[in-house]
Amino acid sequence: MPLSKKEISILIEIVFSIVFAFIFLPYFYENQYNNLILMDDIIGKIIEILIFTVIYFSVAYSLLEFFLKKKETKDERDDMINSKSYKLGYLLYEFSLFIFIGYVCSNFQNKELLNLTGNQELYNNFNLTDVGVVFLILMLLAFISIVKSLYQFYLYRTV
Amino acid sequence: MILKNTLKEVRQKKGFTQEELGTNVGVSRQTIISIERYRYKPSLELAMKIAKKLNIRIEKLFYFDLTLPANKD
Repeated sequence: MPLSKKEISILIEIVFSIVFAFIFLPYFYENQYNNLILMDDIIGKIIEILIFTVIYFSVAYSLLEFFLKKKETKDERDDMINSKSYKLGYLLYEFSLFIFIGYVCSNFQNKELLNLTGNQELYNNFNLTDVGVVFLILMLLAFISIVKSLYQFYLYRTV
Repeated sequence: MILKNTLKEVRQKKGFTQEELGTNVGVSRQTIISIERYRYKPSLELAMKIAKKLNIRIEKLFYFDLTLPANKD
């Protein structure tokens, strides 16, 4: 069965998340222990991400509309599929948030303990920086978005 | 009990394509395909709209398959 417009839209979202993960996440990963990085640099990068997002989706959806002119009705099946996939995304988001909070808390606790023992090498390994936090959040968002969209795509193909 | 339907047979008998029926009841062609393949159970509202469009009683269009699988107990 050929792909419908809605399925192609989901594929566009998946491609975006993957491209985003490969283009922008390495910057945050590489600089997470870089103490010299300034908040202005992070804000600049986030603005770059926003501009990239706007351009990507504008171009992708314009091309989609250009090649598939037929309008598709949004109906109750779409609502059902969206509710199931967004529910999964929400549960993953909630679960990830708890893991993230646990990680941050354990990080500070370990850092304190290591500081007391005076092991500088271990102390540095547990150093969670601002960029590190941004990296973790963006990575989780990209991961959740990919899983949600893949599940949505799977439902569109099977339900 | 599985909710089954005679949508495909009735639709073809009445001379509607999946696309036409979908447009008439306000859903996509994919939704009609899913209903015909028993993959998607329509809401009561949609089922009634389809029955009305095909001019058939809803219980003739949608029915429960009462042939239960053999009990293992």
